[in-house]
Amino acid sequence: MIRSESLTARVRENFDWTLFLAIVAVAILGVVNLYSATSPYVDDPHRAGLADVYVSQVYWLVVGVLLGTLAWAIDYRNFERLAYFLYAGGVFGLLLVFVLGEGIRGGTRWIKIGSFTLQPSEFMKILVVLAIAKYLHDDPKTEPRTLADLAPAALLTVLPVVLVMSQPDLGTSLVYALTVVTMLAMAKIRGRSLAWLAVGGGALSVVFWKYLLRPYQKGRIDSFLNPDADVTGAGYHAFQSRTAIGNGRLWGDGYLQGTQNQFGYLPDQYSDFPFAVFAEDWGFAGAVVLLAIYCFVCIWSVHIASQAKDRFGAAVAVGVGATFFWHTFFNIGMTVGLLPVVGITLPLFSYGGSSVVTILVGFGLLMNVSMRR
Amino acid sequence: MSAEDEEGRSKRVGIRARMYVVFGLVALGFGMVLSSAWDVMVRDGEGWRELAERQRQRRLRIVPKRGTIYDRNGLALAVSVEVPSVSLDSYDLLRTVPAPQIPVVARDAANRIAAVLELDPADVERKILSKRRFSWLKRQISAEEAARLRELASRKVMGDRRVRGLVVEGEGRRYYPRRTVAGPLLGFVAPDGEGKDGIELSLDHDLKGHVEQLRGLRDRSGRLLFADGMHDDQALAGHDIHLTIDQGIQHTAERELANVATTFEAAGGSVIALDPNTGEILAMASWPGYNPNDYRSSEINERRDRGLSDLFEPGSTMKIFTIAAGLSGGAITPAQKLYCEKGFMPVDNVTIRDTHPSEWLSISQVLAFSSNICAAKIGLALGGNRLYDSLRRFGFGQTTGVPLPGEATGMLRPRSRPWVQVETAAASFGQGISVSNLQLALATAALANGGELMEPAIIKRVSSATGETLRTSVPKVRRRVVPKRVARAVVEMMIGVTEGEGTGVEAAINGYQVAGKTATAQKTDPKTGRYSLDKYIASFVGFVPARKPRVVISVMIDEPMLEHAGGAVAAPLFRRLAKKILEYQGLMPRSAKRADLAALARTADPAHAVYEAMRQAEGRRPAVQDTVSPAPVGAGRVRVPDLTGWPLREAVRRLSDLGLSAKIDGTGLLSLQTPAPGSVVTKGETLTLFFEPAT
Repeated sequence: MIRSESLTARVRENFDWTLFLAIVAVAILGVVNLYSATSPYVDDPHRAGLADVYVSQVYWLVVGVLLGTLAWAIDYRNFERLAYFLYAGGVFGLLLVFVLGEGIRGGTRWIKIGSFTLQPSEFMKILVVLAIAKYLHDDPKTEPRTLADLAPAALLTVLPVVLVMSQPDLGTSLVYALTVVTMLAMAKIRGRSLAWLAVGGGALSVVFWKYLLRPYQKGRIDSFLNPDADVTGAGYHAFQSRTAIGNGRLWGDGYLQGTQNQFGYLPDQYSDFPFAVFAEDWGFAGAVVLLAIYCFVCIWSVHIASQAKDRFGAAVAVGVGATFFWHTFFNIGMTVGLLPVVGITLPLFSYGGSSVVTILVGFGLLMNVSMRR
Repeated sequence: MSAEDEEGRSKRVGIRARMYVVFGLVALGFGMVLSSAWDVMVRDGEGWRELAERQRQRRLRIVPKRGTIYDRNGLALAVSVEVPSVSLDSYDLLRTVPAPQIPVVARDAANRIAAVLELDPADVERKILSKRRFSWLKRQISAEEAARLRELASRKVMGDRRVRGLVVEGEGRRYYPRRTVAGPLLGFVAPDGEGKDGIELSLDHDLKGHVEQLRGLRDRSGRLLFADGMHDDQALAGHDIHLTIDQGIQHTAERELANVATTFEAAGGSVIALDPNTGEILAMASWPGYNPNDYRSSEINERRDRGLSDLFEPGSTMKIFTIAAGLSGGAITPAQKLYCEKGFMPVDNVTIRDTHPSEWLSISQVLAFSSNICAAKIGLALGGNRLYDSLRRFGFGQTTGVPLPGEATGMLRPRSRPWVQVETAAASFGQGISVSNLQLALATAALANGGELMEPAIIKRVSSATGETLRTSVPKVRRRVVPKRVARAVVEMMIGVTEGEGTGVEAAINGYQVAGKTATAQKTDPKTGRYSLDKYIASFVGFVPARKPRVVISVMIDEPMLEHAGGAVAAPLFRRLAKKILEYQGLMPRSAKRADLAALARTADPAHAVYEAMRQAEGRRPAVQDTVSPAPVGAGRVRVPDLTGWPLREAVRRLSDLGLSAKIDGTGLLSLQTPAPGSVVTKGETLTLFFEPAT
């Protein structure tokens, strides 16, 4: 019945305009903000190239829209069938990084293809979501799950987490883990298993802290717990970010007028701290509007999940929404000093091709699920 | 079917419940973020904004260029040159270093920095570990040191081993191009820019310019973006000082003084030359002197300007003022004769003696033979109080008001009560009182110019960095001391001193009448309080031409050991210096030796030979005498010309004409050249030229 219906008719009836407009709004604000973030470099002879990154961001948005449209137009059940295959491709990509990796600032996360650099760990975010969704879909159980039931899902997660951790990229592996946890939380889990998970999580974080975190990562957490101790060292980014945001106050300095950013005091303002630029330009009022849109997108994806016609669709919707939520929560959380500094991007605001394409493909899937409910 | 429905419903309820939990959690997450944003932006917004402003606004200490000190002809005596200094931002150095590695990295960086700058590594390490944003590492480093430091800080050269946080910036360094010339007079400048002695101290305020605290905006990289109330550099720069000193006369005076002091093995000495008509000081030499470029290796007694701050018992030179006082007070008349008691005269319980016992002497002869007894008689005839008043009118016992630090007042009444008989008698011939050489020179100038005591001038003009004249000194008469006729009469008597059998014949100059007076004063031994038998002060004060004086010269030699008579030690110095000054001012033909005509004819310019032949034939001074080199220059070698004051391009062109190349530092006009002008170098050698902007 559904097959007989033409795509155009379904588009007309079920196209999710609400989500679409919200995403367009975020993308436009993101580019506009990126222009402001790098505007101080216009006259800088050494970094004038950075002043043009908003143009490449637009190119990447176009690429993302094309791939996103593909992800939206193809019936998502095809992705269900291909989920593990795609996942394997993603893992291959992560392994490739170790062979062909391009080191940038102490992390080896990129593969160079022609004049582009791709970040496989970004694409992997969607592939992990698809694989976990596939796993949940294939497991028809309705009673609460035990630890043994969760083991395959855990394996699917741990593999990319370990690979990405060793790049090292704490932020991205954190996003994988939290996204999967959110997706599994939507499935029923036995109380005893939950307790064991909690204990295991606690033990794991101790091991993390003792053996796996690098000194600079520990330094960030130290400086988070004790923010005023070292404002020029490890706490420099967090401190300058809060200075810029606080400088925005209620109504902001105005577009392109944020003084801390214009004077070059804000580090990494186009990659990890675009929210600080936005908040300084537009003030608390602007921040409320932006957060409202982000919050709406998150809640809307859960709403889509509840409307989905099968478990795979629901799980994908939750997964994409969770990825989006954790990105937003961690990024803005760290810029306002709520959380320690972790290299997690702000969706459609941070500069980065792989990140933009991943987010747009994710929304393509979300629209896909929304349309085929 | 119904069971399936049931199951479906319960499943949907379960999903819905979980959905609400998720909604709640998402809302909570965004709520937390929003509340933090509220705290930062609204609740604490003002605080963060203030912090942001403080970060951007820096108080800039603009240290302007220190003014130049010129002599009366515009020759630079003290100039400021930009020299690099290096400071350390230890925060920056350790910023990227993880905590456990800090000691290792600090030790390594300290060793490398210390090796370049020749510092103590432990000291540098301490500065690195202090985590201070600013501390001096070394001030006024050489160009090579600066280059090696830049290498150390360069990512290109050192890669990851580069040292961060090294800041090399220009700092003004004081340079005295004429080295020891006028050292004690000019003083020196400490590295912090404070003038410490001499002119540098007394005119510090003018020279230093306005050190202003400016509020400016600086971006992260420290670049100045905007500063309100920022004037141009010229307005902030220090004023230039034009002294009344003539560098040529000063140099000659110092050379002659050093000559005499070393020849007679003296402990010290000073020479002052001034224009009696204006009070302008032309030269003020002090021996031993020092090189203010290297003030650290000098001793405090070398930095003292002895003409100004050393007091001494003047002895016989005082007789001219006693006679002037006697004449103007009516105690004696010029034509009078005095009985000089054959060399012995008791006053109270003391016997006054003369070295040349005489009977009847005219006032002129009293001065020429320097009779203590007759001078005492004049003083006693005038009375203690009137003599004291007269001497005070001549400026003794009070500061002259010259704008220099460390001036001594001198003492006429050491016991702060009117003189008793014997004290009046002693003061009449310069004992029991103390004067400075400058006071003596100024008092003599008052006789030379017809009886007016002038205010001493050392600053001719003060001009701003833009060349605008701010202050000019005008000759100022402090007071009339004696009537003109008295001054004239004393001058006539003083001429007698340098003629015939006078004590000062050594001061005589062919073709001129010289007025003067010698003194040979025994020094008081500080241990016994009595006059020492072997320690003297030899002095001579005089002026030339006697009836229309151009210059007063006062010479004081402290403790000459081989010979102590003022006439033998100080008078010849007067003659040589006075002769030079007269030559210099075009009042006397320069002394020129007869040149070897055959040798001259072989030189590049035979015109010299022609002029020399004419000079020898007619006894005239050749016009091109100056260009004849005083010493032969070997083949392939050249004499370095004096290029100071020339613009860069012209200086380099002239050097290349001579086959010399140049290493250039700074811009503007040439302020310093090494090797010094006049030295002989091999062709092709490289000179180092320092330029400073023309002001």
